[in-house]
Amino acid sequence: MDPAGPAFFVSLGIFLFVLLAIVLRWMHETTAALLGAVLLWLVHYLGGSAISSLRIVGFDESIAAVDWNVIFLILGMMIFMAMFSETGVLRWLAYRVFHLTRGNVWLLGLALVLLTGFVSSLLNNVTAMLLLVPLSIQIAETVGVHPFVYVIPEVMAANIGGAATLIGDPPSTIVGSHLGLGFWGYAIRAAPVVLVLLGVLVGLSLLLYRRELAAARKRASPVLLQELEARSRITDAPLLRKAGLVGLVTLLLFFVAERFELPPSVVAMTGAVWLIVWVRPDMRRMLQEVDWTTLFFFIGIFVLVAGLEEAGVVARMAGALGRWAGNSLPKATALMIWASGLFSGVVDNIPITVAVLPIAGQLSQTIPAAQGNPVLYWALIFGADLGGNLTYVGSAANIVAVGLLAQAGYRITFGRFLRDGAVVTVATLTVVTFWLLVLW
Amino acid sequence: MGRILCATRGGPDSQRTQQSAIALAKERGDELVFLYVADSSFLDNIAAAVVVDVDAELEQMGRFQLLMAQEQAAEQGVAAEIAIRHGHLRPSLEQAARELAATLIVLGRPQKGTAVFDEADLQEFARTLAAGTAAEVVMV
Repeated sequence: MDPAGPAFFVSLGIFLFVLLAIVLRWMHETTAALLGAVLLWLVHYLGGSAISSLRIVGFDESIAAVDWNVIFLILGMMIFMAMFSETGVLRWLAYRVFHLTRGNVWLLGLALVLLTGFVSSLLNNVTAMLLLVPLSIQIAETVGVHPFVYVIPEVMAANIGGAATLIGDPPSTIVGSHLGLGFWGYAIRAAPVVLVLLGVLVGLSLLLYRRELAAARKRASPVLLQELEARSRITDAPLLRKAGLVGLVTLLLFFVAERFELPPSVVAMTGAVWLIVWVRPDMRRMLQEVDWTTLFFFIGIFVLVAGLEEAGVVARMAGALGRWAGNSLPKATALMIWASGLFSGVVDNIPITVAVLPIAGQLSQTIPAAQGNPVLYWALIFGADLGGNLTYVGSAANIVAVGLLAQAGYRITFGRFLRDGAVVTVATLTVVTFWLLVLW
Repeated sequence: MGRILCATRGGPDSQRTQQSAIALAKERGDELVFLYVADSSFLDNIAAAVVVDVDAELEQMGRFQLLMAQEQAAEQGVAAEIAIRHGHLRPSLEQAARELAATLIVLGRPQKGTAVFDEADLQEFARTLAAGTAAEVVMV
């Protein structure tokens, strides 16, 4: 297809329109993605009948471009999370952390970051935020610390922790699935650097918030303490036992799966269906709790990016980036990390990851040293995950945390988030750049 | 005896509003109700796996905020009640005022940079609220 023909501009125009609609909140993200996909199909069938070069991507090719491993992996994890969240275990865990630190505000900051990082590596970040942030706000108010001091590092820990496993954050799932990585194959490569990054975050948070932490009130209110404790109990112990056992077996199955080349989606669905069969929830309610908007958002974005590939936009972008990097793998790696990081700082990282993935694939074939070396893919994963910390619109988890803070009467401005987000993003992207350049 | 309704979210900006409502209740000998409106509309435009009962989480957080306000009132000798509603702030506040038969509604004036409303917007809302509920509305 002619790279500078009408197909090129139409597919790029539709994709940019969808990005703009998402960034400027003209409509729901899923509405924007589906609108873009339908426009692409209409151009293909209606426009293509008049101008043959507008035959960009038809329905069948679009559906073939959807990574169903990603869709079913996310669906399986959603079913698992929906049941897990009903047990009250995360609130109980966060309260235990508060109790164990005996109200020491410094230790509490460290413990909440580590807890969130760990939880986010296994649950999606939005779920982690919805379950942990309300309690963290209450804990902060109980000990007399401004809630920003705990919540901002927590949401950043969620974005960092999500990079640790294949199921932690969408960029990890999308790129990991594309590379054919299993759960443990991914975690062994990513988790060590995520631990280092969480250490960097803890250090920076204690430094950035040292004044607020030092000014903490020493004595907590007994009424508030009582309320915290009363609301932080396990709400469904039998369900927790079942979900815990199935979760553990599913993790082991992820390990065995790599020997049998079982896709991660099959493992996640096996665990989810086993849990459904065991717990016997109301199936109608269960399916209502699955967030279909996310799944259709993914499908819409996959279709849009198929259009970009077919119209030659991806090849052109990859060519430009390759020339800019001078066919040097270290330069291309650094460029991939920082460009995807900066874009993910202002746009949802799902469309960025899906769009840049084929560019990383083409660069991996055209740059001589990149052949057989997945470093550009890892650069994309970490850039897209860590870049989400830059602004409060950088990730869905940030929007949720900021929304929850506002609901408690603590409104955070764009500039206030950026002040801390920029420091953490630059520091973590720098660490990852060195890690990737040294390791690969 | 009248009933004062004070819509609050918590946080530093709400302190002044809560204190004024407590002082008014004390001065007039009125009942005081702190109201929290749990509004999950911040999730409206994002495609993210929301498998959690957000309303229940917000209600718990709101209850905690109201307990803090209630504790402050008790320290000043005022026994305050608490109420929680779900939905957008304006219609929920108006409906709660009618349901609770409020005679006075206390609204906080916007603080620079972090307010939900600007001054003109709040005044317009106060007029609508007064007309729709037959309660007196004061901005503090």
